[in-house]
Amino acid sequence: MKAFPALALLGLAGCQADIDAPSASAGSANFSRYIAIGNSLTGGTEDGGVYREGQLNSYPSMLAQQFALAGGGAFNQPLFTEAQANGSGYLRLAGFTATGTPITSAVTTNLAIRAVTPTVVYTKYLDRVDNLGMDGIKLADIQTANFGNVSPARAYSDANFNAYFERITPDGSSQTYFQRVKAEVAGTTNTPAATFFSCWLGNNDVLAYATGGGAVATRAITRTDTFNLKAVRIINALTANGAKGIVSNIPDVAGIPFFNTVGPSARALLAAANVPTAAPFVYTTGILAPLQPNTRVNTTLASVRSAGGSEPLLLTLTAAPYVSLYGQRTGKYWRDFYAQARPGLPAAIPNLSVFLATLQVDTTQAFGASSGNPFPSTLVLDATEQANVSAATTAFNNSLQAAASAKGLAFFDAYTYFRSVAAGPSVINGVNNSAGFITGNLFSLDGVHPTPRGYALVANEMIKAINAKYGSSVPQVNPTSYRGVLFP
Amino acid sequence: MQAKSLLLTGGALLAATSGALASGFQIGLSGQKNIGMGGTGTGLYLDQAAQFYNPGAFAFVGYSSFQAGINMAVPRITFRPEGGGTGQETLQNKNVFPFNGYAGFKVNDKFQVGLGAYVPFGSELHYGHGWTGRYTLTDIKLTSVYVQATAAYAITPQLGIGAGLVMLAYGDVDLQRDIPLQSQNGTTAHATLSGKADHKFGYNVGIMYKPSDKLSFGASYRSAIDAHVSGGDVRVSGIPAAAASSFTATNFSATLPLPDVYSFGVGVRPNDKLTLAFDANLVRWSKYQALNFTYTGGVLGGAGVTSSSSVRNYKDAVALRLGGQYKVTSGLSVRAGGFYDFACVRDGYLTPETPDADRVGLTAGFTYEFSQRFGIDGSFLFEDFRQRSQSQADLVANGTTDRVAGTYKTTISVPGIGVYVKF
Repeated sequence: MKAFPALALLGLAGCQADIDAPSASAGSANFSRYIAIGNSLTGGTEDGGVYREGQLNSYPSMLAQQFALAGGGAFNQPLFTEAQANGSGYLRLAGFTATGTPITSAVTTNLAIRAVTPTVVYTKYLDRVDNLGMDGIKLADIQTANFGNVSPARAYSDANFNAYFERITPDGSSQTYFQRVKAEVAGTTNTPAATFFSCWLGNNDVLAYATGGGAVATRAITRTDTFNLKAVRIINALTANGAKGIVSNIPDVAGIPFFNTVGPSARALLAAANVPTAAPFVYTTGILAPLQPNTRVNTTLASVRSAGGSEPLLLTLTAAPYVSLYGQRTGKYWRDFYAQARPGLPAAIPNLSVFLATLQVDTTQAFGASSGNPFPSTLVLDATEQANVSAATTAFNNSLQAAASAKGLAFFDAYTYFRSVAAGPSVINGVNNSAGFITGNLFSLDGVHPTPRGYALVANEMIKAINAKYGSSVPQVNPTSYRGVLFP
Repeated sequence: MQAKSLLLTGGALLAATSGALASGFQIGLSGQKNIGMGGTGTGLYLDQAAQFYNPGAFAFVGYSSFQAGINMAVPRITFRPEGGGTGQETLQNKNVFPFNGYAGFKVNDKFQVGLGAYVPFGSELHYGHGWTGRYTLTDIKLTSVYVQATAAYAITPQLGIGAGLVMLAYGDVDLQRDIPLQSQNGTTAHATLSGKADHKFGYNVGIMYKPSDKLSFGASYRSAIDAHVSGGDVRVSGIPAAAASSFTATNFSATLPLPDVYSFGVGVRPNDKLTLAFDANLVRWSKYQALNFTYTGGVLGGAGVTSSSSVRNYKDAVALRLGGQYKVTSGLSVRAGGFYDFACVRDGYLTPETPDADRVGLTAGFTYEFSQRFGIDGSFLFEDFRQRSQSQADLVANGTTDRVAGTYKTTISVPGIGVYVKF
């Protein structure tokens, strides 16, 4: 009698409380072979490079891992090997200056670079590939022949060649990205046909223009009719065998830290140095290239976007090394520009002084504060350029949404999602996530690509859209188990 | 089988004693006989633990004795994040041991004095390593020990009154969480806040009225005490060097209200062998509106952030209790009881440190008296919390995003044993 209750109840105590959880299911979708179509965001680029950790934390990898709980099969990514884990190389945070400006340094060991001439190519990967995210690809590029063939004579950075596509394409093949996608959709004797896909293309059709400050001729915004045609084409190809999938639209590029970090910090630093906002700010607008006239705009520092402000000029993250030179008699930017442009310069420009003369730059004048030594348009996205970006984004998103809904596909409204991220921090599992550079946790050190945690939130948004569309019950990932920015 | 599938589908498993027998982080394991009768004790007197339950009833205890009891709380808490999440595979179930002890002295037929010590509030949880909410809380240990000196007087054989001077004799808190800051060498930063509460005084008062041998009524009140920690230690580890300047705090202070409780009870003795008891408690949790910390420097929120406030918005909570005792032989009594306890935490305000919910408790107990002077009490409590969920949308709407969205489910088993010596 005495012993009875204690023993019986100790038995009860051993039982873990149980929560009824819906079991994972695919609904009307079939995840047995999932393929991911896209650009750097899909390939897992982060911190300005493609490397193994980023690949392992790509959103398609997370989706495939969750799909596996609902009948999904193997998912193969073109991973860099452990020995070449740093792939293309990437940025790491080295510390902060006394004024709190982040210092990054490039990781240059354990790379997977196979050759650097005539252009950079990486260690080949010719096994099965389910993640076809190719850093740098535009939707406009999908039918470019020889896109992964290094054999035709290539310039150093040939816009009609993609080194990541070259990695997964057999030597000498002229296959286009579109042909490769069609082959993966159909399957081969060793690889089943695709049953599910994600498609997130089109970002670079506008982002490349924007990150170049609208100043680089080879990085023009894709024509809307071309974009629309290719969007329809790729969705048709993906759904040709009845596969279901999710299409994402493109975020507002102006909301990313790449455009919202340097302007505000430069304004704060100049204010701290007692430089009046009425001080002149001179920049070039439009195409900036040697042997081509460039237009100069005279304005004041008050036009540069401050923290939380709405001033018109956005400075790019690539402007970070140059803003502190404002007002100095320096040719640093122009020397760097010359070094970068040099391999492609005509014989008419034999040296730096001729280069500067053709650009009508006088480096003895105050940088950014005089019309003789203006702030270069490659580092500025002005109101006209922002309007171009905005109009193109809207037009492209209309095409993507129409193409997706014509096929009854799930849709991830990345535009709206990232706007909400940019509007203010969201706290998830007790962690502040925002579009802030470094402190926001969501964007990596290149200011454009997410961190693993940012990719996890993207994966969860896609899972929600997929579950809603196909009646599936795919569990989400836990965003807090993925990292933000790593600190030294 | 169910436990296994739970590990696979993403339950976080954790250990707690939080809220055994009562809402919030009350513990209420203050007398072994009372535990066996569903936690009743306001409308009758069972032994010297009346000092805690109703000092008015203590007037009628009528003998001198010493008693001590100890309980082993075996909590089982499961968490499943909203949206599924990834599995949490490490569990740290940990048992804790709330105790109680009383000495009571009969001065004369009307006057009784006593000393007691008990653990009215406390909580201990150790969440699984890397769980979804690790940036809100990984570990909490909250201990309070009250000591009480009590005097009770039977004004008439029907009416007794009593009062106790209560001191928060020992209180400590240890809160830990991960900081969402990871270093390139793979460590995640972690913060520990620990400190001892200042000694503080409170009181309790009670009255008992016995219109007949078969019937008694009691009412009691225990005052609130604000447990205040000043100069608690802030320790951080794994902070990356580049971020170290944001973490300059070494000390913190905080106040945790330990609420006052109104109790009303009825005791019924239909015959010599059977005793029945009914209790109602009102716990004034509504005074716990926010948990505020101030720091001597920057911590958690960056260099310039030297305070934090987290919304609690608790509401007053009622508990209803029923218990019975049957004297089987002259030496053996058996007990059973049950209670229903309403949560003090509102929907959408659940925190990992107090995953409160409405709960049902079932209790059993016995006393075996070896002689006129010496006996043992055994008790057992099983408590089943209602499964409770909150969504991210709830958290956003309430401004409570400093906690996690998901579902909690708790059960607690508490075997306990006590001894008493009459002299």
